[in-house]
Amino acid sequence: MLAQLPELDTVTYVEKMYPVPWLAKPTFPKWERGWHDPYHYRSPPKEEMPDYKTRPCYEFHRRSRLQEGVKQALWLTKAKLIKGLPPPILNIMNDVAHQLEDQDERIQNAISHACFWAGTEEDISFEKYSPVLLEDLLHLCRSMTVKYPLLSKRMMAQDYRVTATWERESALIQIHITHGKLLNAVNCLQPIASNDEILATENYALETFYPISPIIDLREKNVYKIKNDTGFNKGYPYPYPHTAYTVETGKREKSEHFQARVLMFAFGNALAKAKELYGDEPKVLEKPIVVQSIGTNGQSFQFVVFQLNTTDLDPSNGVKNLAWLDADQLLFEDARKHPEIKRKEVLIPAGIHGYKSDTFKKFLAFYLHGVV
Amino acid sequence: MAVFRAWRRLPGAYLGQFMHSEASAAPSSDAAASPAPLYPPVVASATAKSKAAKLRRRELYYQRIHDAPTVEEKLEIYGRRQRLKYVVYPQTWTLNADRWYQHFTKTVFVPGLPASIAVGKEEQKDDLDLAELRSIVCEVLLQEYYYQRKQRPKLFRASEQGPAPFITHLVPKLAARLACLNPVLGPSSVIDFQPDVNFYWLRGETVVPRGHRRGRIDPFRFQIDDKPRCQIRIRKQLSEFEPLDYLGPGDIPVIQHLPDRLPLFKRQYQNKIFIGSQISDPCCYGHTQFHLLPDKVKRERLIGLKLTDQIEVPYRANAVASLFAWTGAQAMYQGFWSEDDVTRPFVSQAVIFEGRYVAFFCYQLNTLALTVDADKNNPRRNICWGTESKPLYEAIENSDVKGFNDEVLAQFVKFLLNRPKEL
Repeated sequence: MLAQLPELDTVTYVEKMYPVPWLAKPTFPKWERGWHDPYHYRSPPKEEMPDYKTRPCYEFHRRSRLQEGVKQALWLTKAKLIKGLPPPILNIMNDVAHQLEDQDERIQNAISHACFWAGTEEDISFEKYSPVLLEDLLHLCRSMTVKYPLLSKRMMAQDYRVTATWERESALIQIHITHGKLLNAVNCLQPIASNDEILATENYALETFYPISPIIDLREKNVYKIKNDTGFNKGYPYPYPHTAYTVETGKREKSEHFQARVLMFAFGNALAKAKELYGDEPKVLEKPIVVQSIGTNGQSFQFVVFQLNTTDLDPSNGVKNLAWLDADQLLFEDARKHPEIKRKEVLIPAGIHGYKSDTFKKFLAFYLHGVV
Repeated sequence: MAVFRAWRRLPGAYLGQFMHSEASAAPSSDAAASPAPLYPPVVASATAKSKAAKLRRRELYYQRIHDAPTVEEKLEIYGRRQRLKYVVYPQTWTLNADRWYQHFTKTVFVPGLPASIAVGKEEQKDDLDLAELRSIVCEVLLQEYYYQRKQRPKLFRASEQGPAPFITHLVPKLAARLACLNPVLGPSSVIDFQPDVNFYWLRGETVVPRGHRRGRIDPFRFQIDDKPRCQIRIRKQLSEFEPLDYLGPGDIPVIQHLPDRLPLFKRQYQNKIFIGSQISDPCCYGHTQFHLLPDKVKRERLIGLKLTDQIEVPYRANAVASLFAWTGAQAMYQGFWSEDDVTRPFVSQAVIFEGRYVAFFCYQLNTLALTVDADKNNPRRNICWGTESKPLYEAIENSDVKGFNDEVLAQFVKFLLNRPKEL
C-alpha cells in the first residue's frame, strides 16, 4: 500500500454507507464494549503485560518433547544416569514376601480387562486402555494395605499443578506440570545414595551434545512469573511426593522422548519440594530428596528414581544429582483379541503373549518403597 | 399386483415356498418303531402372511435364543434387530421421572433400606474404628476442597474439580482400608472408573400410529447408556435381601401416556448390554456403583425454582434406572432374558452424591420378564430400597470440616462391608 500523503484528503465511502470500488475504505476507531466480557477478551500485546520480562524463560511443559531424549534431560537436571534400579527397590522386588497371592493370574486378568474387556467396541484404543491398566495395577498395589497398614498413609492426587524454576548455565528454565497423577506420602523417602557416593559425583562430567543447543525444544517465553509451587497449600497432611504416574496420551512418540519426560516430571516434583523446604538459594541439600516416577503407554513401563542432591544447578561442576532409569520394561509383548490367520493357518493365537512378571514386581516395589 | 409386492417384502419369503404347506414337513424315519406320535405336529407356516405365521416366526426366534450355545451368542441374537428405541437417561431433571422409570422397569420403590444393610443404633459402636475412617474421609475432602491448588473451573464444570475427584479418590482408599474386614474388596475385585454400562429391554406395546406399518402392534424398546463415576465388581454374587417372590409394599405407578411425553426421544443404534466388562471377565457381579448428579438438579436450584417436592426425584430416578440397567445386564450375562426369567435374585447397591448430599440405594432384580407376553402371569416385581439424601458435612472452612455426619459414614461403610454369603 502506498504511503498516504498528509496534505491529500482521502475520499472514502463512509457517507454513502455502502462499499464503492472507486472510493477508499474508511477506517474507524476501535469499538470498545465498555465492560469486561470473558468470551471476547483480547489480550494486550506481550510487552504491556505486567509479567513481561526482557530475559526469556525456557519452559518445559507436559507436551514438551526433548529432541535429545534422556541425554538432554540429564543436562537440564544436572544429573548422573545410573542404568537399572537402585538396590533398595531391587531388594523389595526380589523378596517373595512382598508379593500378592496369585499375582500372575491377577495381572493377566488386569491386562485382559484393559485390552479386551473394558469396552463394547471391537478394538479398544490405547488411549482408553492404558489408563484402565494403570488403575487396575494401582488397585492391586493398594490391596497390599491389608499386609502393610502403613500404606493407608498415602494419598493420590489428580490434576495437580507443579511449577519449579532454576538457572542452568545462565539460562532461566521453568518446569510446569499439569494434569498429572501423583502419590503423596506422609514421610520423605530415605536417600538412596550415601554421602560418599554423592561426593563422588563431583568428578563426573556431564555429557553434552554440541552443536545442538541443550535448551532446544523448550518453549521460549517472556511473560512469566518466577515461582516454585508444589501445588498444595501449607499444612497438607501428605506433603512429600512419592511417585508421579504418567500415561502417554495423544500421538505415540519415541521411547526416549517419553523417558525424558518421565525423568523431568520426577525432577520437577523434587525441585519444587526442595525449594519449599530449603529456600530459594541454590545449595547442596543436607538431606537429599528422592522422588519416583513411572510412565506407561499401556504396554511398556519406564521406571525412574530421582535423587536431588543439590539445587545449585547453574554451574556444570560440583555435586550432581542422581537418576536411576529402567527403561522400556514390557509388561507383555503382544495382546490380541482375535488370532492372526493366514491361509487358514493360525499364525498368532488370540490372547496375551510374552507376559513378563518382573515388570509388575518393579511396579509394586515402587509402591511399597518407604513402607517395607 | 399390490398383493405380490407385499408378499415379496416378507422376510425370507420366496414365491416357490408358498406353494407347499409347512405342515407337511419331513416325515420321521422311525415312525413305526417309536411310541412317539406318528406324524410331526401340525404347526403354522413360518412364511405366510398371517397372524399364526407371525406367532410361529416369533417362536422360532425365541427358540434360536434358547438354543444358542453361549451367552455371547444369546445376547447377539437378542440385540441384533435394530429398531427405533427410547433412550432413557438415568440422570434426568424431568419432573416425576422416577414414577415413569418405575413403570418402565417394573420396580417398586420402598423407602428405607433392607434390614440386613440398614445401620441400627447399637451397631454404630462396633469394632470398626469410625474415627479413623472419618479422618480418611475428611483428608480426602480437604485435599479436594482446600489443600490442592486448582485452576478456576470452566463454566458449569465446577463439579469436575471438587465432588468428582472426591468420589474417585475416596472409594479406592476406603475399599483398600476395609479390605481386611471384607476380603471381597481385596485384589480379587475390580474398581472401574467411568465405565460404560448399557442395557436394552422391551416393555409394553403400542399401535403404530402412522407410516406404512400403521395399525400394527409394536413393543416399546428402551436403551440405557450409563456412565457411573466408579463401580466395584466382584467375583461372587451378593446375597439377596428378600426371597425371589417377595412383592414389597405399595404399587408400581402405571403411566397411561406414551413415553414421548416424559419426554423420551427415539434413536436407532446398536443394542448394547454391558456391565462395564465383557462376559469372559470373572468379576461379573456388581457390588456398588457411585454416581454424581449433575449441577442442573442441585438442591439450591430446585428450591429457587419452587420445586421442593422434586428434590429427591433425581436421586430415585437415577437409582432405579442405573441399578436396573446394571443388575439386569449382570443377569443377562448369566444367560437369563425375558423368556427365560431369573431363577435367583440379583442384587446391587448404589451411592448417589450431589455436592455434599448423599443417598443410598439397594436394588433386587426379581424378574426380567417385562415384555407383554412374558408379563401376563408374572407376579414378581423388582424392588428398589432407598434413603432420602442426607448431608455428609455442613461446611468446609479453612482446613476444617464442620458438622461431619457420622451416620452417613456408618451407612457408607456398611454398604462397602456387604459381602456374599459363602465367604
